[in-house]
Amino acid sequence: MTCKELERVLPELEGVRSFELEQHLRTCSECAALVSDLNAISAQSRLLQTVEEEPSARLWASIESTLRQEGLIHEARPQLVSVAPRAPRWRFPWLMPAMATFLVVCGLVLYQRGGLEPAPASQPVAKVSPADQASAMVPEEEEVLKLVGARVPALRATYESDLKAVDAYIVDAERSARTNPNDEIAQQYLMNAYEQKAMVYELAMDRSQP
Amino acid sequence: MRPEKANLTDARRSQSDRLSEAEAIERAKQGDAGAFEALYNLHKRRVYSLCLRMTANTAAAEDLTQEAFLQLFRKIGTFRGESAFSTWLHRMAVNVVLMQLRKKGLNVVPLEETMEGEEESAKKEPGADDIRLAGSIDRLQLQQAITELPPGYRMIFLLHDVQGYEHNEIAEMVGCSIGNSKSQLHKARMKLRELLKTSRAEKATRP
Repeated sequence: MTCKELERVLPELEGVRSFELEQHLRTCSECAALVSDLNAISAQSRLLQTVEEEPSARLWASIESTLRQEGLIHEARPQLVSVAPRAPRWRFPWLMPAMATFLVVCGLVLYQRGGLEPAPASQPVAKVSPADQASAMVPEEEEVLKLVGARVPALRATYESDLKAVDAYIVDAERSARTNPNDEIAQQYLMNAYEQKAMVYELAMDRSQP
Repeated sequence: MRPEKANLTDARRSQSDRLSEAEAIERAKQGDAGAFEALYNLHKRRVYSLCLRMTANTAAAEDLTQEAFLQLFRKIGTFRGESAFSTWLHRMAVNVVLMQLRKKGLNVVPLEETMEGEEESAKKEPGADDIRLAGSIDRLQLQQAITELPPGYRMIFLLHDVQGYEHNEIAEMVGCSIGNSKSQLHKARMKLRELLKTSRAEKATRP
């Protein structure tokens, strides 16, 4: 092999050396130095990969903002109310534990069954926002709000807002669990949603006590 | 007193950090913000490092990184898994960088053309040919030399020797043949060798 032949095959070598190449390198110091230098450059360059730079923190904020403006990111999930559970002193002792137990049991049953049944593919899914679905109060909620309003009128609107927010959370979590029946995170999310509603009821009832 | 609002997505967010890439991709297709962020955190350093080494400018590199990720997220619904997700992303990053260089009027020679006769050889210092590099390449000098490579060479070199992509992956990303990728890589290494020897010879001749 000559020096020119070596230069011609070098791009194709990829670390594989033929007998002729090895022979030539043993006898030609210039070519040996060339191959050695090129290998050293490649090896040192590979180490640069470990020196990966980090972009500034504002970059993600900028990307996320653009994605939201373009509607590619869903609306943020509603802020949920987290309250410290307190010992209930309600006027209707049967109402609170019954309601909370009912909600948690519902969540447990669904969780153990592996979530909600997925919506049949053939049926069109009505696009109703969680807020719309949650806006209509169920009778139990009306009862709770009536009790709160009777005792602490100033707080009725607050609890009504909290109930609507947690209902929207439940609707969203139910949809997520229905879409991903095998997703444990979605199931846990749904359980959390039911527990949140139970806690809202608990607090509301607590506020309504004398 | 109004109960405190809690960020109930904290548990979910920490769980999203542990999402596999495949899960994050599927969730991102549904518009999940946490999934988008997970994918971004997974790949941001590699993409940003590529852009930074191509531009040698942090502001420009961040702009290009942002553009690459925005293109990715806009098109994520079309990703079918025919190639690795990272390859798909880096292809977009490479395109974004090349388009930016062309906009600036930089002579990004189409990779199918050879560079012979079109580039100036680095001014050789006396004694440069006698310099041996093996075993003594300074990282900072190498990084500087990389910035002096023509953009076409630099791209192939960064993707192969720094980021570890194979020639078939580079060819797919950049839109050239495998043979051309190998040829350009070899020329990049030869050019770097020349630049490093010249730099070392310059240092040797300084008082």
